[in-house]
Amino acid sequence: MIPDTVYGAVLLSIIDFFLSFVVIAGIGIVLALFPYLNRLGTIDEKKLRESGH
Amino acid sequence: MFDQVLFFFNALLQQTGAANLSWGNLVMIAIGGTMIYLAIAKHYEPLLLIGIGFSCIVANVPGPPDVPGGPPVSALLYVVKEGGLFHYAYEGVAKLIIPPLIFLGVGAMTDFGPMIANPRLVILGAGAHLGIFVALILAKLCGFSINEAGAIGIIGGADGPMAIFVTVKLAPHLLGPISVAAYSYMALMPMIQPPVMKFLTTPEERRIEMAQLRKVSKLEKLVFPAAIAIIVNLFFPPVAPLITMLMLGNLLKEAGVTERLAKTAGGALMNIIIIILTVAIGSTMAADKFLNWDTILIVGLGLLAFLFGTASGVITAKVMNLFMTVKINPLIGSAGIASVPIAARVSHIVANQANPHNHLIFHAMGPNLAGVFGTAISGGIMLALLGVQ
Repeated sequence: MIPDTVYGAVLLSIIDFFLSFVVIAGIGIVLALFPYLNRLGTIDEKKLRESGH
Repeated sequence: MFDQVLFFFNALLQQTGAANLSWGNLVMIAIGGTMIYLAIAKHYEPLLLIGIGFSCIVANVPGPPDVPGGPPVSALLYVVKEGGLFHYAYEGVAKLIIPPLIFLGVGAMTDFGPMIANPRLVILGAGAHLGIFVALILAKLCGFSINEAGAIGIIGGADGPMAIFVTVKLAPHLLGPISVAAYSYMALMPMIQPPVMKFLTTPEERRIEMAQLRKVSKLEKLVFPAAIAIIVNLFFPPVAPLITMLMLGNLLKEAGVTERLAKTAGGALMNIIIIILTVAIGSTMAADKFLNWDTILIVGLGLLAFLFGTASGVITAKVMNLFMTVKINPLIGSAGIASVPIAARVSHIVANQANPHNHLIFHAMGPNLAGVFGTAISGGIMLALLGVQ
């Protein structure tokens, strides 16, 4: 897919660096929505631990 | 009579390693000794450097030749050969069994709360990876193939298991020098990063204090591993085994009902894996295999990758500050390079030196953890673009 040349290396680097930013930003957006999960309720950590094995 | 004694003495000497000690062995023994010194005297990642340094020393103490007239083989290399104990340790690395298990342990030990609490900072996990691409292009310019250059570049991701994983897929013959470079530089980050961080920041910037992070609920921490596992498996199947195990380990920790499993994954199992991994890596450092031009180039390019990664992380944080009303301390940018939690600790220490009231560790852990995903994403995209499954 990518030619085995210096041009290929530069192309690979640009695409990879740019896409990494896009995907990480996407994960950031998903994480920004996490506080809304708390509207669904809370989990009692103490109860969880007591039921552990 | 005297001649006979001399003859037998000489024959005896040939059966030992002393007659086969080369200058290369002495150089590598000195390198191994330096690693152990840094671990014990300077406390630079002793868990990694003690095992790598010790096995590097032993791998360079030559034993008698395996076959008469053949090259000397050290005692350690005997156990690395097929049938030897550490042969299977090295196979565990080469067959990609150990890297996912390391990620399982890391996940079981890690609180992803700082990353969930401040999602804006995850962008630093991508920003601090410029080093990967600088090393990749330079490696290509030095004459390596594009697959080899990609494997060398991933050293800049500062993530040992990911470096091993990508290298096995792209250029398995370079596994030895690349894993040595990746783990050695990760351990030496307290020496490598601070000069770059200080050079790129002003004393005022280093003194910036950051507000306390919000509390992340248990529900958020439980949803996180499943959400990330779905995203990574959906979009980056080539690196999914590592991130999936990382998230499984984290779910074991956060679930609250599998404390035993989390303790084993992050404790005993992780310790066993570290011993196996460090000895397997150190055993590849025999002078005859290690001291060649390609290895020296790889080690040099790895260092450049770390330097550029650190610099790009700090610069990304400074650029973010241009758009933010509440400024962040740019020192946390370098933590985006990954290498959990070493890089976050370095950010904290440098900030603490500038301002003793500054405790950046939790803030730096956010980009630091995002850096793990950043490296995985970069590696996944690289494998996909190079057509490797």
